[in-house]
Amino acid sequence: MHVIETAALTRRFGAVTALDALDLAVPPGITGLVGANGAGKSTLIRILLGLLPPTAGAARVLGFDVAEDGPALRQFVGYMPEHDCLPGDVSATEFIAHLARVSGLPAAAARERTAETLRHVGLFEERYREIRGYSTGMKQRAKLAQALVHDPRLLFLDEPTNGLDPAGRDDMLDLVRRTGREFGISIVMASHLLGEIERVCDNVVVIDGGRLLRQGPIAEFTAATGTLAVEIEGDAGPLAAALEARGYPARREGRIILLPADGDAALDAIRDACADLGVGLVRLEHRRQALEDLFRAPQEAADAAR
Amino acid sequence: MPPADPRAGAIYDLGYRAYDGPRLGRRAAVLSLYVFTLRAAFGIGRRPAAKVVPVLVTAFAFIPALIQLGVAALIGSRVEVVAPWNYLGFSEVPVALFCAGAAPEVFGRDLRYRTLALYFSRPLRRQDYALAKSAAFITALAVPTLGPLLLLVIGNGLASEDVPGYLAGHWRELPQSLAAGLLIAAVAGLGSLAIAVHAPRRAHATAAIAAWFLLTLPVAAIIVEVGGGAGRYAAWFSPFDLLYGAALAIFGREPGADSIQGAAGLPIATYLLLALLHAAAALALILRRFQRVQA
Repeated sequence: MHVIETAALTRRFGAVTALDALDLAVPPGITGLVGANGAGKSTLIRILLGLLPPTAGAARVLGFDVAEDGPALRQFVGYMPEHDCLPGDVSATEFIAHLARVSGLPAAAARERTAETLRHVGLFEERYREIRGYSTGMKQRAKLAQALVHDPRLLFLDEPTNGLDPAGRDDMLDLVRRTGREFGISIVMASHLLGEIERVCDNVVVIDGGRLLRQGPIAEFTAATGTLAVEIEGDAGPLAAALEARGYPARREGRIILLPADGDAALDAIRDACADLGVGLVRLEHRRQALEDLFRAPQEAADAAR
Repeated sequence: MPPADPRAGAIYDLGYRAYDGPRLGRRAAVLSLYVFTLRAAFGIGRRPAAKVVPVLVTAFAFIPALIQLGVAALIGSRVEVVAPWNYLGFSEVPVALFCAGAAPEVFGRDLRYRTLALYFSRPLRRQDYALAKSAAFITALAVPTLGPLLLLVIGNGLASEDVPGYLAGHWRELPQSLAAGLLIAAVAGLGSLAIAVHAPRRAHATAAIAAWFLLTLPVAAIIVEVGGGAGRYAAWFSPFDLLYGAALAIFGREPGADSIQGAAGLPIATYLLLALLHAAAALALILRRFQRVQA
């Protein structure tokens, strides 16, 4: 059973093709929607919410046809837009309770769930303050609260960590993870930051230029291409050559040497090579840059074609 | 493959529980939007400063009716200076101020704060949103346009020495007042909203609405005065002159000789027809705006 299914989903804006024949099958869980800015992430989300009609193709979300059953579908989905979207002149409680009612909750349930949701996102103490006085982090939490208040089955988060400092980013990702894992709400989180996707998501959908690059469980992406990064004192050239001689395809990135991590043998080889050359090892780390590689590959292909 | 029901075996903490109650759908969404907008028009749920202007302006709209009732009660006079059919002539300024002050906020807040995305991602359609908010503003505006008429009709009835006799002679004024008050609210309200949704800024909207109501009054009077046969049609294009004429048509009254409607000499029923056309055109403009706006 998939929460989202699309067939040849296409959207054009005049001559620009924002989404190009997208075939998606997204299972329940937390799914990262990855792509560079302008890749079509927001367009895809807006089509899946029934806010924007597709030019061609079809999409079903939670079993509802997005073009036909928009209002019925939207009872069960929540949406946190990327941009600021909260009025400044009301309190979070007043506004989110109102939105809960617009989502179809009866008055008493709307009040109760507003309080619960604001507690969940950590705004309980500030709930009667006007939103204009909130910090960026608090506004992001309030935006998440409005998306959650009607207990959706599926949540669309568009760049939820936008504008947050590192601590706020960690808090938001933690909230997203808890919301998805503990409450069993399926989440589609759009982001151009691969590290965030790797931290919270079970599945990934990668789109680029409106086309589907890959989709699948995140484990498949990161396990396949682990990379070791080695930094030594002095010139990296001799060590790279020594590793090449031992059969490891070492790649240099300034002072750092990168090579594929295929188990302990590679670590042993680095240790032995350093010992043989008598150089000091400054840093040895496991780099999981699988998702970056996904973008590098088509970019390099495009450069090669030029 | 995860289980089909991802909620199975989920851990709940005290701050969050699943909701299994009813989901009331599109009709409840529209109703909630209507109530929220109506409250906002009078500043309910907002800081106290937001209440001052709408409440004061509304109170001003009632003053002529209170004076008429007070004078009639004090001196027992049967002189009816302020009446339901000519009431708009006394309440033009408060009605224009109410529209200029409150109409830009109805849709302007959602456009300015980009809240539309939150509404359109809920169980309603774009036209539901536009209709619910427009209806709420018309209802709010009916407080100053319809309220004083009802107060006059009821007050006159209670003050008369012979209540059954008064009712027999004047019962029609109640439905006529309802129709006139609501028509004024609909035409003035929808017209103001249509201007507001096309104005780029709040201040522009306020100025444009005030100008639509108040600048057109002397301009139409002058054109009717000096324009001769063609100029008399100007009486149709000033909203207050149009609505004053429409109210006369609803109450079955003829315009006074010194009024612009009297000077223009156009059939009084045309004001009513054109007022309805005005409202329909304004509503079409509002709906078109929200069909196209990006959310």
